[in-house]
Amino acid sequence: MRPDPLILAFDTSAAHCAAALLSGDRVIVNRHEDMGRGQAERLMPLLEEVLAEGGATWRDLAAIGVGIGPGNFTGIRISVAAARGLALSLGVPAVGVSTLEAQAHGQTRPVWSLVDARRDHLYAQHLGIDPAPAVIPASDAADLSPVIGPHANTALPSAIARIAAARLAQGGDIPRPAPLYVRAADAAPPRDPAPVILP
Amino acid sequence: MTRTLTILGLESSCDDTAAAVVRHTPGRAPEVLSAVVAGQTELHADFGGVVPEIAARAHTEKLDLCVEQALTQANLPLSELDAIAVTAGPGLIGGVLAGVMCAKGLSAGSGLPLVGVNHLAGHALTPRLTDQATFPYLMLLVSGGHCQFLIAKGPEKFTRLGGTIDDAPGEAFDKTAKLLGLAQPGGPSVEAEARTGNPTRFRLPRPLLDRPGCDMSFSGLKTALLRERDRLVAQYGGLRVQDRADLCASFQAAVADVLAEKSRRALTQYLDLAPVTPTLAVAGGVAANQTIRAALETVCAESGTQFLAPPLALCTDNAAMIAWAGIERFRAGHRDDMSLSARPRWPLDLTSPSMLGSGKKGAKA
Repeated sequence: MRPDPLILAFDTSAAHCAAALLSGDRVIVNRHEDMGRGQAERLMPLLEEVLAEGGATWRDLAAIGVGIGPGNFTGIRISVAAARGLALSLGVPAVGVSTLEAQAHGQTRPVWSLVDARRDHLYAQHLGIDPAPAVIPASDAADLSPVIGPHANTALPSAIARIAAARLAQGGDIPRPAPLYVRAADAAPPRDPAPVILP
Repeated sequence: MTRTLTILGLESSCDDTAAAVVRHTPGRAPEVLSAVVAGQTELHADFGGVVPEIAARAHTEKLDLCVEQALTQANLPLSELDAIAVTAGPGLIGGVLAGVMCAKGLSAGSGLPLVGVNHLAGHALTPRLTDQATFPYLMLLVSGGHCQFLIAKGPEKFTRLGGTIDDAPGEAFDKTAKLLGLAQPGGPSVEAEARTGNPTRFRLPRPLLDRPGCDMSFSGLKTALLRERDRLVAQYGGLRVQDRADLCASFQAAVADVLAEKSRRALTQYLDLAPVTPTLAVAGGVAANQTIRAALETVCAESGTQFLAPPLALCTDNAAMIAWAGIERFRAGHRDDMSLSARPRWPLDLTSPSMLGSGKKGAKA
């Protein structure tokens, strides 16, 4: 038995594949690879490398931490689906952590946390003030202060692991990780209406 | 390999999230130990078709729940299984990706081997799961997303004789229902409406019957139906209930005629192989349509061919077929590693010329 519980955390919510291994309160591995595409193929091999570098195996893990976005929809799903599969097969909890919260980990609050939402918009949350993120025009960000983001930093997976550890230490129910999309799915009802039906 | 295999299957390529456990001992009939399907019909109801992003969102949060349920129903922990099979394509990429990643997580954590399965192979191998069909048999795969004739020669060996060059029949049923103000999915609602209709009242086209071969087309049929509808609406200020029933019956008759005649041609090619037990098997939701089924049975009877239609739950999208195809692939020595890709396009038959999406990205199915 290892002395300190091990938490493996990972994130693919933006153009990267990132993972960290936390042992107790010590980050023993932190990896960040810039990646435009191919996260679905790279993620699991990367996790295996991180475990190996930390001298651990899947069976040693006490919990999983996973970035749930907001960010790239497909990227978020890649990590969340993998985390849910791992949690089920390992019989350990998986803790979903918001990217907005993770990148501001350890910062004095209140602080505005920003993530690129494309189409000239940002995902924004006034941490310490507002419990819910929103989508704002990128031009509005100039008026906000102090600010974290919108560029992902390489310590993101370590922060996800630490926040997951803190939540587990609090005890209580850990809900299954679910993507934090903020934006609704793009879908429009059909344009042509059904005909009037006569008896 | 002759040992008993128990495999978990995952399916998420369209709008059904499914998990199932199947066990097989060589020489015995395979057993479906559990089969869970969580549909999404209500999520897409307002949009007149499956919305890929909505489907992907639902799959991501339902897959592990379905797996848990399937394991509970089979009364087996993961550790007592032999492998994990997952649909790796073709299909809506967001859903396929969620399935592949969940399966990788299950495989990594349990140490069980991973087997990526072609969704179409799942359908095409179902007659072996349900009826122990022997190769070669002729397969008509007819669903909301696919329509093709395949000769199944082995677990990984399929020859495509032909298929739709545009819409799938299930899609045509859905669009017909939409045009006529009927509920989705269109298959059951159009069929129910057609029962009180006159199938000969409207002369709808039978596309491609005048051309040799087994290729089909259904999009022109939908356009012809729209034209008749608009003519009736212009004439009466709305669509009368009896006209609607007649349109449904005429549409259904046209689809049945095309499928029957093309099946006759496919059978001729297939029978040249001199199979020991000549068999035509169907899969896909459209195979549930009684008029179409009767037409196919008539064609089979003409040549003394056995007609196989698996129970509806194994005809529509499900995970038992993925687990079964996984068993067949696993026995053939196939394993995937953690870099397994989700593929939106993945034709079963790589040798025949492609019909759909033959652009630079290659054939769709």
